[in-house]
Amino acid sequence: MKTAYIMQKEIKESILTPKGFLWYILTSIILSVLSYLFLTNSELSLLDQGQMLYMIMNFITALGILIGLVFGADAFAGEIERGTLEALFLSPVNKTEIAMGKLGAALTNWGIIFAISLPYLFVVGKGGQNLLIGIAYLAILGTLLAIIFSAFSMGLSARIKSMKNSLIVSFFLFLLAGSPVFLSAALRRTWFGRILDLINPFADAINTFDSVVIDSQGFSYQIGRVAIICGYTFLSLWFLKRSVSRLEM
Amino acid sequence: MIINVENLVKRYDGHTALDGLNFTVEDSDIFGFLGPNGAGKTTTIRILTAIIKADSGNVLIDGHNVFKELMAVKKIINALPESNGYYEWMTAYEYLEFFSNLYEEKESRQEIYKLLDVVGLNGKEGHLIHSYSRGMKQRLGIARALINRPKLLFLDEPTNGLDPKGRRDIHDLLINLNREHGTTIFLSTHLLDDVERLCNRIAIINYGKIVRTGELDNMKGKGTIEDIFFLSTKEGTL
Repeated sequence: MKTAYIMQKEIKESILTPKGFLWYILTSIILSVLSYLFLTNSELSLLDQGQMLYMIMNFITALGILIGLVFGADAFAGEIERGTLEALFLSPVNKTEIAMGKLGAALTNWGIIFAISLPYLFVVGKGGQNLLIGIAYLAILGTLLAIIFSAFSMGLSARIKSMKNSLIVSFFLFLLAGSPVFLSAALRRTWFGRILDLINPFADAINTFDSVVIDSQGFSYQIGRVAIICGYTFLSLWFLKRSVSRLEM
Repeated sequence: MIINVENLVKRYDGHTALDGLNFTVEDSDIFGFLGPNGAGKTTTIRILTAIIKADSGNVLIDGHNVFKELMAVKKIINALPESNGYYEWMTAYEYLEFFSNLYEEKESRQEIYKLLDVVGLNGKEGHLIHSYSRGMKQRLGIARALINRPKLLFLDEPTNGLDPKGRRDIHDLLINLNREHGTTIFLSTHLLDDVERLCNRIAIINYGKIVRTGELDNMKGKGTIEDIFFLSTKEGTL
C-alpha cells in the first residue's frame, strides 16, 4: 500500500510538472509527423504496411527506453539533490518499497506513451498483416524494456547520487542500446554484430518485431530473444534492489 | 531515558566523524546538541534517525535498538533535517497527507488541519509550497515531522536563515510542543540564543566527541553559554 502512495506521488509529479507532460506532448507531435510522412511522402508511402508498422514500433520502443532512463536518473539522485529523500527515508517505508513505487510510476509513464501511440499504430498499420499481434508484442516487450532501463537507471541513480552524472551515464546507455541502428548491415552480419545484437535487449526487441510483423514468424522463433529480455529484466530488478539497499544519504 | 548512545563511531573515507560518542537524553527534555561546524552534529542525528549506519556502537531509542528495530524506531521518532527539501508542486495539505499515508495510523483530514493550525499555516493549506517563504516552509517541515505524533523530535538547525520573527515563531512552537504534548526535542544548533531560550539540557560535541554535557542551568553558573561553548571547543568556530 505504501508503494502505491509513493507511485501515486511520482505519477502526479510527472503529470503536474512540465518534466512529464512535455514528454507526452513531444511523443504526440513526433508520432503525428512520422505517421503523416509515412502516409503522404511519395517514397515512404511506398513501404508496405508491415514495414511502416515495424518502423513506428521501433521508434515507440526507443522513446519508452529514453523516458525510462531519464525518469530513472532522477529517481534517487534528483531527490537527494532537492533534499526530499531524507524525509521519505524518515517515514516507516523500506527502501525497496520506495524503489518499487518509483519503478511503478516509470512503467505508468511507459503505459501512457503506449496508449498515446495506439491510434498511430492503428492508422499506420491498418489493412496490413500482423497488426494486432505486433501491438501485443510491443506491449509486452516494451514493458519489459521499460522495466530493464528504468530499473537500471534508478540503480545507477542510487549509486551515483548525482543527477547530472546519472543522466550522462543513462544517455550513454541509450546510445549503447541503439548501437545496432548505427551499424551497417554488413557489420551486423559479422560475429561482432551478431553478438551485439544478441546481448542487446533493444536489438532483441526490434529483431523480434521484425520477425513477427514482417516475416510473420510464430512465437517459437522468438523464444530465445524473449528469454534474453526476461533475463535482463530479472537482472535489472536485482541491480535496483541491491543498489537501493546500499543507498545512504 | 529516551536516548541512550554508547561508543558510537562513524568514519568516512579515513576521517573519523564520530569518535566513541556517549550521551543520554531524558524524556520530555529539550536537549541542545551544540558544536562547531563539522563537529559531527548532523552525522549523529542521521545515525539516531536510522538514515545512515554507524561503524560501531549502540543506540537505544525508547528501549529499541536503532540498528535492529528500524521500523519500531521510525514510528516513535521524526526529524526535520538541516537541508529539508519539499515537493514544491504540492499544496501544504497534499504534502502532509502524502506523509501521513506512509504511516499505518493515518491522520484524518481534521487532524491534518489541526496540525496546520499548530504550525500557524491554517488558511494556507491550499497554496502551492512553491509560493511559501522560507519560514513557512520550515513550519511546514515541522508539521511533517509531527505527522506521526512522535515521542522524540530531532531538529537540525531549524532556525537557520530565518528572520527574527520566524525564529521567534519556531521557538514558541517548540516550547508549546514540549509543554503541551510532552514531546522530547533533540535540537542541533550552533545558535546559542536558541539554546538559551529553549533547552534544559545540553551536550557539546567537538571532533566527534562529547566534551561537555549536563543541565543548562548548572552550567550557566560557570559563565555565559558562549563562554562555556568556547571553553569546551577552544578552536571551535560558530
